[in-house]
Amino acid sequence: MELENKRESKVISKNIDVFYGDKQALFGIDLEIYKNEVTALIGPSGCGKSTFLRCINRMNDVIDICKITGEIEIDNFNIYKPDVDVVRLREKVGMVFQKPNPFPKSIYDNIAYGPSIHGIAKDKNEMDHIVETSLQKAALWNEVKDRLHEPGTGLSGGQQQRLCIARAISINPEIILMDEPCSALDPIATAKIEELIDSLKRSFTIVIVTHSMSQAARVSQRTGFFHLGKLIEMGETEKIFKNPNNTMTQDYITGRFG
Amino acid sequence: MSDEHIVKSYDEELQHLNDSLVQMGSLTEKLLYDSMNAITTVDKDAVSKIVESDAKINKFRSSIDQHIMTILVKRSPVAIDLRYAISTLKISQDLERIGDLAKGNAKKILPLPDDLPPEMLKRIESLGEMVQKQLKSTLDCFIEKSVQKSLDTIKSDEQVNDLATASIKEVLEFLSKDKKNLDFATNLLFVCKNLERAGDHLSRICQNVHYLIEGDYPQK
Amino acid sequence: MNKELRRKKRYQAEKRFQLYGIIAISLALFFVGLLVFKVFSDGTSAFSRTMIKLDVTFDANKLGITNVNDKDEVDNADYYTLIYEEFIKSYPFSNREEEKQIIKLLSPDYEFEAKNYFLKNKDQLNKTVTLLLTASDDFDQLHKGNFPRDIPEDRRRLSNYQLKIYDQFLKDGKVEKIFNNYLFSKGDSRDPELAGFGGAILGSLFTILICLLISFPIALAAAVYLEEFAPKNKLTDLIEININNLAAVPSIVFGLLGLGILLNVFELPRSTPLVGGIALSLMTLPRIIIPARASLKAVPPSIREGALAMGASKVQTVFHHVVPLAMPGTLSGTIIGLAQALGETAPLLLIGMVAFVVELPGSPMDPSASLPVQVYLWSESAERGFVEKTSATIMMLLGFLIVMNSLAVYARQKFEKKWN
Repeated sequence: MELENKRESKVISKNIDVFYGDKQALFGIDLEIYKNEVTALIGPSGCGKSTFLRCINRMNDVIDICKITGEIEIDNFNIYKPDVDVVRLREKVGMVFQKPNPFPKSIYDNIAYGPSIHGIAKDKNEMDHIVETSLQKAALWNEVKDRLHEPGTGLSGGQQQRLCIARAISINPEIILMDEPCSALDPIATAKIEELIDSLKRSFTIVIVTHSMSQAARVSQRTGFFHLGKLIEMGETEKIFKNPNNTMTQDYITGRFG
Repeated sequence: MSDEHIVKSYDEELQHLNDSLVQMGSLTEKLLYDSMNAITTVDKDAVSKIVESDAKINKFRSSIDQHIMTILVKRSPVAIDLRYAISTLKISQDLERIGDLAKGNAKKILPLPDDLPPEMLKRIESLGEMVQKQLKSTLDCFIEKSVQKSLDTIKSDEQVNDLATASIKEVLEFLSKDKKNLDFATNLLFVCKNLERAGDHLSRICQNVHYLIEGDYPQK
Repeated sequence: MNKELRRKKRYQAEKRFQLYGIIAISLALFFVGLLVFKVFSDGTSAFSRTMIKLDVTFDANKLGITNVNDKDEVDNADYYTLIYEEFIKSYPFSNREEEKQIIKLLSPDYEFEAKNYFLKNKDQLNKTVTLLLTASDDFDQLHKGNFPRDIPEDRRRLSNYQLKIYDQFLKDGKVEKIFNNYLFSKGDSRDPELAGFGGAILGSLFTILICLLISFPIALAAAVYLEEFAPKNKLTDLIEININNLAAVPSIVFGLLGLGILLNVFELPRSTPLVGGIALSLMTLPRIIIPARASLKAVPPSIREGALAMGASKVQTVFHHVVPLAMPGTLSGTIIGLAQALGETAPLLLIGMVAFVVELPGSPMDPSASLPVQVYLWSESAERGFVEKTSATIMMLLGFLIVMNSLAVYARQKFEKKWN
């Protein structure tokens, strides 16, 4: 592709192994994620794609029995160095989950939480500004501007998910991880999120795990196929969906095994 | 198709598509044979039968179109399945065109002039046979999904072209000798040209088979 | 046909099961109803007090008051003689014995009742007013119809002579029932008509307050640590088992602990809500920790993940999101634990909160009774007046429990945040 030489690496995974207790969940994952692109990770359930996603912001640290070896470099800096501050890392790498999980607080407070714990806003005015721009970037502002102080849990599923995206971008991260963000949404809400992802990639690097292959084909520039904890194939999304190199990839995306 | 789909009816739909195309192919084969036969034996009665089977081929094509649309809507095929749907769509188009060309040839039947050099007719007959052979191997390479065969078939299209050029030259010579054969010779020219074009359609089919299997067209 | 039969049987089994359920509930309701009926039928009369009207002239000479504004003089005036002399006049008597019987119809507190009235109405000096004086327990019970009159005189608490006086008073319209404010404002007394559970209520409130202040923060901290921070290993398993065991330890054991350690080792004051509250908080701790942990566990992990992914630290995640969400459940658990503590008697008996206390406690450091202990104390007394007071105290205790349990339900419903 003609873009090829303009591409800049954002995340590089080097030989990542993940163990849950005795069970190995990921086997030597090597991959590269480019800046300001959407990278989709697909694969059957339990293939390790979500596990890998959670390695990028070290959410797996929460699980006691989870052990990770290898390196993940973000901007050439290994985030698995022993002295890395996880809080700083997660400020840089935001995450949106499968089920919309707004805090049971007002819409405003949902957005304001991140900036307030990281001390990003100096005063109330600045906070108002952050809340507004975050909601605008998440294409939610027009729908909620008149009810910022109503509970975020009162929104519809799709709006809740966009609220979660607005929350994630409120602290201005560089990377946004999305773990099946549309699996609980109807097609219209899904379309809105996909449109949003498309516009967000100008400012952020996005990694999305999805079960919907058509979604991966629609939103991503590059796609990685995981199977049984291994990265089977990683490449341009168009190539993967038109003519993948690996038969296993082809069998999976054409619905021949699952 | 290497493995079966999880959804059996998807497999059945693709199989049905495959079967339709093969049937359409064998109909075209028959049509081409009949039309060549009718020309060389000046069998005017065969024309109505030929027109009928061409209509049948056209019907096949539109039903294949519909079928592919259904698959696109229902299955959103990707990768090999997507290429399969797209290629069959194109292949059915080319087959239909071949049918039209063969029908056009058959419609041009005129009694053979007395001074017709027998080797000229022989040559045109063999041109027709060559195109029929090409059609057969094209259908084989679709059925077998064979890259090598499709490449071979594309290559042997050159021979069709050469033979067609030679035939046309011969017909023109025949025409220049005696102007009273103008009608017959012109028709014969069309027959040669149509056979050559049928050969071109066949090599396009082979290219599509190549695309279906490999994901790209053969290098020129 | 077989199928038809089986279906019929199935429906019958369903109906039968429902019937069992209805029977069980009716039985339970019947027993509760019986208890409530018994308590109410015994206890409602305790909320009224029989008074006897007496016309009294606050004669300055008799009282020995020269200057109404002299506080000392008014305080030390002889109200006793004034009322005594006035009251025995209200029925003719022929000997000393009869005179005694007359005055015994009044509660011994008449002196103070007259004094209190006069202190509030000093302008009534030398004027005649109608005072309402508390009747004695026997008179009170007779008026409330709790004493039968048709049994032999020697088995009655009131003599024939006294009955005659009662009838005369009734005829003259001198007997009146008023709302028994003493019940709420007074502490214990040997005389049932003067006894109240005011002291017991205050003692219970102090005890519960101490119990809340000690057990809630400790239990919350323990629950949060165990649920959110503690590593899962053998030690924490052991602690968990022991907490559950602690909840099952008989309360009297905590009383012994209070006696042995708080009173004997730390020498805290006996019979006080402070010690009672501490002993009860030991009992309440596991009863708060368990529901608190359950409500922490019920907070969906997605909320924790959401906060962590925003870059919140573990402590921020727990205190900004998890604990507030677990609060309704924790609070209702706390209130129910406190309600149990409120009804607890055994530990209080052991640390000496069973004393006879007339004074109302002013602070948790003062000796005091508590509601359940008051029930225990009065139920041992022979006087008919204490029987109705026992039931009244039970009603009070039940009232408190109902209020607290409703509060628990309210807390759960009002503050519970829907996360989906």
